[in-house]
Amino acid sequence: MDSAETYLMINSPKKADHLWRYTPWRRVHPTGNVDEVPEDIVTPKLSLTMLDGTPVPAGIGIETGAKVEIDDRNDPVAVNFLRAVTKNSTFTLKVEKNFTSEQPIILQIQTDDVNSGLHLSLDIGQHCEFEIITLIIGTAPWFGFLRSGSVGNGTILNDVLVGSTDSGILLRIDAINIGRDAQVKVGTISSGSDRTKSDLRYIMDEPGGHLRVLGSILSSRKMQIDHHIEILHHAPETYSRLNWHSACDGESRTIGTGMLRVAKGARGADAGQLFHNLLLSDKAEADSIPELEVSESDVVGCGHGTANGPVDDAQLFYLESRGFHPDEAKFALISAFLNSTLCEMGSVTLHHWLTKQLANGNYQSILKR
Amino acid sequence: MSSNTNLLEVCNLHAGIDDTPILNGINIEIKPGEIHAIMGRNGSGKTTMANIIMGHPDYDVTAGSVSLNGQDLLEMETWERSRAGVFLSFQYPQAVPGLQVGNFLRKSVAAIRGEDAAKGPAFRKGLKDAMQELGISRSFLGRYVNDGFSGGEKKRFEILQLMLLEPKLAILDETDSGLDIDGIRTVAKGINTAIRGTDSGALIITHYSRILEHVQPDKIHVLIKGKIVKTGGPELALELEERGYEWLDNDDNYADSEENKSTVKITD
Repeated sequence: MDSAETYLMINSPKKADHLWRYTPWRRVHPTGNVDEVPEDIVTPKLSLTMLDGTPVPAGIGIETGAKVEIDDRNDPVAVNFLRAVTKNSTFTLKVEKNFTSEQPIILQIQTDDVNSGLHLSLDIGQHCEFEIITLIIGTAPWFGFLRSGSVGNGTILNDVLVGSTDSGILLRIDAINIGRDAQVKVGTISSGSDRTKSDLRYIMDEPGGHLRVLGSILSSRKMQIDHHIEILHHAPETYSRLNWHSACDGESRTIGTGMLRVAKGARGADAGQLFHNLLLSDKAEADSIPELEVSESDVVGCGHGTANGPVDDAQLFYLESRGFHPDEAKFALISAFLNSTLCEMGSVTLHHWLTKQLANGNYQSILKR
Repeated sequence: MSSNTNLLEVCNLHAGIDDTPILNGINIEIKPGEIHAIMGRNGSGKTTMANIIMGHPDYDVTAGSVSLNGQDLLEMETWERSRAGVFLSFQYPQAVPGLQVGNFLRKSVAAIRGEDAAKGPAFRKGLKDAMQELGISRSFLGRYVNDGFSGGEKKRFEILQLMLLEPKLAILDETDSGLDIDGIRTVAKGINTAIRGTDSGALIITHYSRILEHVQPDKIHVLIKGKIVKTGGPELALELEERGYEWLDNDDNYADSEENKSTVKITD
């Protein structure tokens, strides 16, 4: 049975389903008809370069086709749907073992004004050390992006995705296994699409894995940005932190649902999640639902929290007392709020590139809309 | 350096918060080049006065006036007061995680002293010299504003801003609180560098005489229950240290006597 048949066999998720409660499946389906598997989803243009535009060195590249099966602990609806519509748009990011790069690598995904989809399988070898930015740009009314695969044992990876499309719908699935003793940071910067639904799952089946998941999200107008992040601790001595910052302006809505699962046997697991929402207008809405499922008693700690609020008046007064015009002060505080997770995503070089990109592009233009 | 024109004039200032009066007729005049100090118990209105001069939106001014070089400060927004030359060193400076110190300083200097003052070798040299004087390392510039700073680092950072922003009037709200002896010396040195020998002035709010030994104010005012009840020279700080405030707890001090209604004159 292929993925399209599997998808059509599965009942459409009910509105009460946790994953689809805030953004129903039909609202992020490319046609809105959930019984349909469109055949006209096109492949975006991909380019893989160093951050300065020079070619990537040997040891990293994109190959056609995907070799890695997807863990069945991921949501079957979106995974099978995306596999079906991207059957001709499947690639593997192959990284040889021991690959290192001091300069960040950039994978640019360029869409045109047609519905587009991509399945990118990560096949990252052992003991690599590098940073990669995945930059999604373009004008596709719908873009479906499935990332599956694994990060090899002992690899140190900073993996940042920048959602920078002009508008439209972004459906994104991460289904990634973290190797033994791997140290992975996964950053998400989302500030472009009108509607985003992400289901990001990171599975720690091997001991010693160290994972940080960071979000820096800006919404405005009538955007709806919905991220579900699930971290599964199945092996002992695994560590994870989720730190998610969303700033909501206009009549936009952001949703952050987190699930930390610590399975029986994951002794010494250390897991925490924190959602912070900055509300920039009376009509903006932010929902954060952090959840824990802990089945192992011998853990270092498992915690969760959420905080919502407007721009802090005391901080505004402080900046205005330093000559900042109220608009500049507000913008500086929003940028600082988003930067406080952004700066954790990787090296100084990567951070510098991200802040420049966002200051000159996304954040400025979105706040001015 | 001094002239006959007042830098700061606070006249019969009445103010409060949520219908609760806090300041009950404050009068102060500071001339260019002068450093004044205000002492008083907790809750006497010292920080309220500092916040009102800076334009904190939570406070209501019910009577009186505040002017800087003849400009009515009460008509201005906080950012306009800052650009007009008022600087407040906060008792509890706000942390702004995510806002880098270097960027913050550059933007502040550009806003207050103009874009040209915030770039080029002159700005870098001024920054380097001020940091050196305050014993602040270069790595400080990469940190986030007051985020994770120790008490001493926060106070030094406030003085660094004072030195770079070159205000006409610096109000230092308990900048010495929580500092060790070396810290007080360093901060006092920064204040002297920024104010002494210039046309600027300063109002130091403090509980202790120690910082005043290093700064040597021209006048000391004692604030009790929202009123200035006594004004004197530097020796007043030592007297307060010895005798406390009880000897000034005389109801006559709070009556609307002609003496209290009139402006406390600070003369050269």
